[in-house]
Amino acid sequence: MAAVEALSRWLHATRLSWAMAGGYPWLWPACETLHFIGMALLVGIVGLIDLRMLGFLRSLPLKPLDRLLPWGILGFVINTVTGLLFFTGDPFQYIHNLVFWLKMAFILLAGLNVGAFYLTGLHRRVTSVGAEEDVPLSAKLVAAASLFLWIGVMYWGRMLPFLGEAF
Amino acid sequence: MATLTAIENSGFGIWVRESGSVWSYPTIIFLHSLGLAFLVGMNVVLALRLLGLAPRIPISALERLYPIMWAGFWINAASGVALAIADASTMFISTLFYLKLGLIAAAVVNMVCIRRYVFAHPRIDRVAVPASARLMATLSLVLWAGAITAGRLTAYIGPAVALKGR
Repeated sequence: MAAVEALSRWLHATRLSWAMAGGYPWLWPACETLHFIGMALLVGIVGLIDLRMLGFLRSLPLKPLDRLLPWGILGFVINTVTGLLFFTGDPFQYIHNLVFWLKMAFILLAGLNVGAFYLTGLHRRVTSVGAEEDVPLSAKLVAAASLFLWIGVMYWGRMLPFLGEAF
Repeated sequence: MATLTAIENSGFGIWVRESGSVWSYPTIIFLHSLGLAFLVGMNVVLALRLLGLAPRIPISALERLYPIMWAGFWINAASGVALAIADASTMFISTLFYLKLGLIAAAVVNMVCIRRYVFAHPRIDRVAVPASARLMATLSLVLWAGAITAGRLTAYIGPAVALKGR
């Protein structure tokens, strides 16, 4: 935690932090807007693949959905960059905030979930699943966990100002 | 204006804005984000496919996105009404708020037009995506991005701002 404090103090002294925290008043709202556009991209595309694996939209074959993944990753990158900018703008409102760490933990778990999906070879088995076919139960569990975790990330993000007094 | 103030200070308006309950403003605004993610997210999927970015996805199968998009829409219509009541005297005189509603209305009409004209085509997956469908897909991306931008900015006006930080 001391390292986090030190990093926060260093970040807070940067010109970028000043710019985010009101130096350029339009910058924070602009980043918020991008953060929501990134969210729609990420949750839309990951959510669709999850819902398909769970058995909704069964007329969709799974393989061609992979072509949408770069757009979901783009959403994740947009939100990582804007998220880091929020953190730089006002690190101290986040680091003492349990809700912030819950959000980070959920993002980490969602990442581990995706990692497990690819590293265990489950993704390769699922790709061959065509229209009207079901994925194995293990893939359904990964999909349910993914949906739960990403909705959880949105929940903790939205709760930052209310349960943890950060915006 | 008196009417708007009365709406804002109704029992429900005060509960949403001032009760401090996690089930009031915080949960309502979470639902508003959740609905947005699914409504706009699925519209983006549909638009990307129509623009040719994932050409092997059968377009006809994407008609099943509509129930998800409508679920997102109605979650946001209901939560949006609650949020607008809590900030009635600010929202209903704000150009930004009406711009947001206008962009959403246009985006929803566009979404219905895509269903009516694109999905109605009997051989939709055998022919090239028509230029009109690509135009509607582009319009969808632009209108939803505009609605998110205008919607995000309304968070910086009204009495509930104190609740939201900034």
